[in-house]
Amino acid sequence: MDLQALWLSLRLAATTTLVLLAIGIPLAYWLASARTRLRPIVEAITTLPILLPPTVLGFYLLVLLGPHTAVGRLTARVLGHPLAFSFSGLVVGSVLYSLPFAVQPLAAGFRSVDTALLEQARLLGAGRLRTLISVLLPLSTHSVIAAAALCFTHTVGEFGVVLMIGGDIPGATRTLSIAIYDQVQEFSYAAANRTSLLLIGVAALALVLLYARRSSSGAANA
Amino acid sequence: MSERRFFRVLIAVVLLMPLSGFAQQRGPATLRIAAAADLQPVLPALLTQFEQQTHIHAEASFQSSATLATQIIDGAPFDLFLAADLSFPQRVIAAGRAEETQPIPYARGTLVLWTRSDSGIATLSIDTLRDPALKTIAIANPEHAPYGRAAQDALQHLGLYDTLRPKLVIAENIAQAAQYADSGNAQVGLISLTSALTPRLRASGRFIRLPAHAYLPILQGAVVIRSSPGSAVAHRFLDFLAQPAVRQSLAAQGLEPAR
Repeated sequence: MDLQALWLSLRLAATTTLVLLAIGIPLAYWLASARTRLRPIVEAITTLPILLPPTVLGFYLLVLLGPHTAVGRLTARVLGHPLAFSFSGLVVGSVLYSLPFAVQPLAAGFRSVDTALLEQARLLGAGRLRTLISVLLPLSTHSVIAAAALCFTHTVGEFGVVLMIGGDIPGATRTLSIAIYDQVQEFSYAAANRTSLLLIGVAALALVLLYARRSSSGAANA
Repeated sequence: MSERRFFRVLIAVVLLMPLSGFAQQRGPATLRIAAAADLQPVLPALLTQFEQQTHIHAEASFQSSATLATQIIDGAPFDLFLAADLSFPQRVIAAGRAEETQPIPYARGTLVLWTRSDSGIATLSIDTLRDPALKTIAIANPEHAPYGRAAQDALQHLGLYDTLRPKLVIAENIAQAAQYADSGNAQVGLISLTSALTPRLRASGRFIRLPAHAYLPILQGAVVIRSSPGSAVAHRFLDFLAQPAVRQSLAAQGLEPAR
């Protein structure tokens, strides 16, 4: 078992999940409440990574983060190294790739909250931020947990984007899914099998926990 | 209640994880090698040997020479590029990312035709490639991998390329081509001698060398990446590769001396 790769995958998934919750909650709140013509366009853009091949994302990120663009040169100057082929680069790629997995469940959760409650909060003088923190979030904890679990497992299972912008560097960008690719290529089928079983286990455990929580809370509400 | 506590612990662990990463910075005496995929069967043991001799830790990433060259030109943090030909190191030189003005040849590769013992091919020879019963041939991508280019050259030289073209399955690099053949998904593979000489492939199949006149010699070149933190260590590794004992062990594993 490649412990370095396991640790890297977990660290990448945790970082990505935190960043995505920080971005996803305000974005989903806006999507759930906005009434402008801009909303469908923004929603389409945030959902796009589900439909796109990871290679499209990987290709554009590689070009954008590389030394041939102003963005790439600027980040390289600020960080002291190019963003591609580094852990921070993987976080940027993973955040974009898993964005729909955060925003979709969050927006669905926020939309399912009774609008009467939101109006009462407003009548009691709560601003948008207060409404989000005191009313919407407590009433949609399931959606927040679902979003976090999906982002985490989706990032652990990511392959194409990591391969394209990561470059398979041990300790920096060789995640578990890349380690499996390497193990198969060097005929270490037993090692690839162990790593794969671990990934199946992580994904299955996350789903079981998610569904167990949903059904137990459903019973409590009934 | 216990479920709630479980989730709290889980959330705390997840919150703490990103902070822990910055502790594991690598020391200055680490060597990061971008290595052509034909070195995958050979290099790990050499790196261990190098570490024992010099106490310098070395890590390698294996991919096709083209993929690695592109990554280096785009700024990937490697100290040394061990390619499977001279053209890809030359690209790195042309992009201003190498210390050298010419690639340093460190080995010469050999192309073999390999098949599993249970593939149903009775006698393996060049004529196997002319057999209409042959359905699939694994080669590495000629655009990305020097061994793939050599395989294409050899098939063209033998006058077989146009007939065999529909039967070719293209792997990203030469280690993957060997994997296609070893897993039985391709009946035969045009792979590197380094793969064919691994204990695993020796046990599961047999091979013949392709006639040396059928393809241009696979001269493998190295360049040290300019202003990389491990460039001094990279030069030490190149000296290590030139040691007679190391050259001998490379030759025994399928990589002849370059000169």
